[in-house]
Amino acid sequence: MLIKIQIIVGLLSIVLLLSTFELIRKKRLREEYAILWLFTGIAVLVLSLWPGFFLSQFFVRITGIFYLSAVVLIAFSFLLLIVLHFSVVISKLTNQNKELAQRHALLELKINELKKRYLPPEETITSSGL
Amino acid sequence: MVLVIIPAYNEEDSIEKVIGAVQSYGNQTDILVVNDGSTDLTSPKAKAFRATVLDLPFNLGIGGAMQAGYKYAYEKGYDIAIQVDADGQHDPKEIPKLLQALTEMRVDMVIGSRFLGDSEFKSSMIRRVGISMFSKVISTIARQKITDPTSGFRAANRKAIQVFASDYPQDYPEPEVVVLLHQCGLKMGEVPVGMSKRYSGESSITKIRSVYYVVKVLLAIFVDCFKKPPFLKREG
Repeated sequence: MLIKIQIIVGLLSIVLLLSTFELIRKKRLREEYAILWLFTGIAVLVLSLWPGFFLSQFFVRITGIFYLSAVVLIAFSFLLLIVLHFSVVISKLTNQNKELAQRHALLELKINELKKRYLPPEETITSSGL
Repeated sequence: MVLVIIPAYNEEDSIEKVIGAVQSYGNQTDILVVNDGSTDLTSPKAKAFRATVLDLPFNLGIGGAMQAGYKYAYEKGYDIAIQVDADGQHDPKEIPKLLQALTEMRVDMVIGSRFLGDSEFKSSMIRRVGISMFSKVISTIARQKITDPTSGFRAANRKAIQVFASDYPQDYPEPEVVVLLHQCGLKMGEVPVGMSKRYSGESSITKIRSVYYVVKVLLAIFVDCFKKPPFLKREG
């Protein structure tokens, strides 16, 4: 029974690690996220290779839950951290995005005003005609 | 120098009337229409009416649009900014009243209230309950009576403009702004204004969303109480 779970969990973690590597290679994942995902993959892989590894034994002893549950628990807490981290990043990006949009609009307005003031009238007419 | 800020999102039906009304009231005011990524003719129509138009590249929501307007006011050195809705529910005739109150009451922001004095305002049951709830909560936090914290008809002086340019709440900003100003140690006042029915369109807050709106804003105000107020550099 245990060996089946081990194989499934092991395969899952290898798939996770390979896709993380692939994403880093294609530069579709920034390093700071890649590190989190790599840690998650490695932690799960280690647990599948050595079920008696101190981490899982330690968990089983203090919590009384079984091997698979311990793996799920650890993977879950990593995922929780990652998702929370993403929320922080998204919030920051949203704010930066807003600031950029506002700055963009203010600068555009300034450029148009300068154009109106300093370009000869015929030129503004042709440029607006384009 | 006074700037009237009109945030507009797809308001092509009413924007000309609003700009016209503001122009006919005042000769001393500049008008800035903040076009919040409209997909209709709001921007060209406003430009044709000789208003300055700030075109945001995409829709930011009312908070982001208002803040863009205040940033413009701050950078251009305006002393007073007045915000007026583009849907026509605010009567520009009341603008002098707001301006007068701003100097006479010696406050940093004046809110045009629908519930002060003898102004009549008819609204749905849910909305009135919600507004009176905000009013109680915000009055308690700000330690002064604010009868209409959801009103978007406001005048702000240079100090308040500076606060808004650096920090402005996003989704449903009006009630939160009151808390923000209080945290910055700025003073507020209210004057009674009449409001008419909007020329066009629906309120951005429909019935089903009303409850969500109330819960969200109360939560946001609760969180605001624990936030650090923005750091303001002194102007020379």
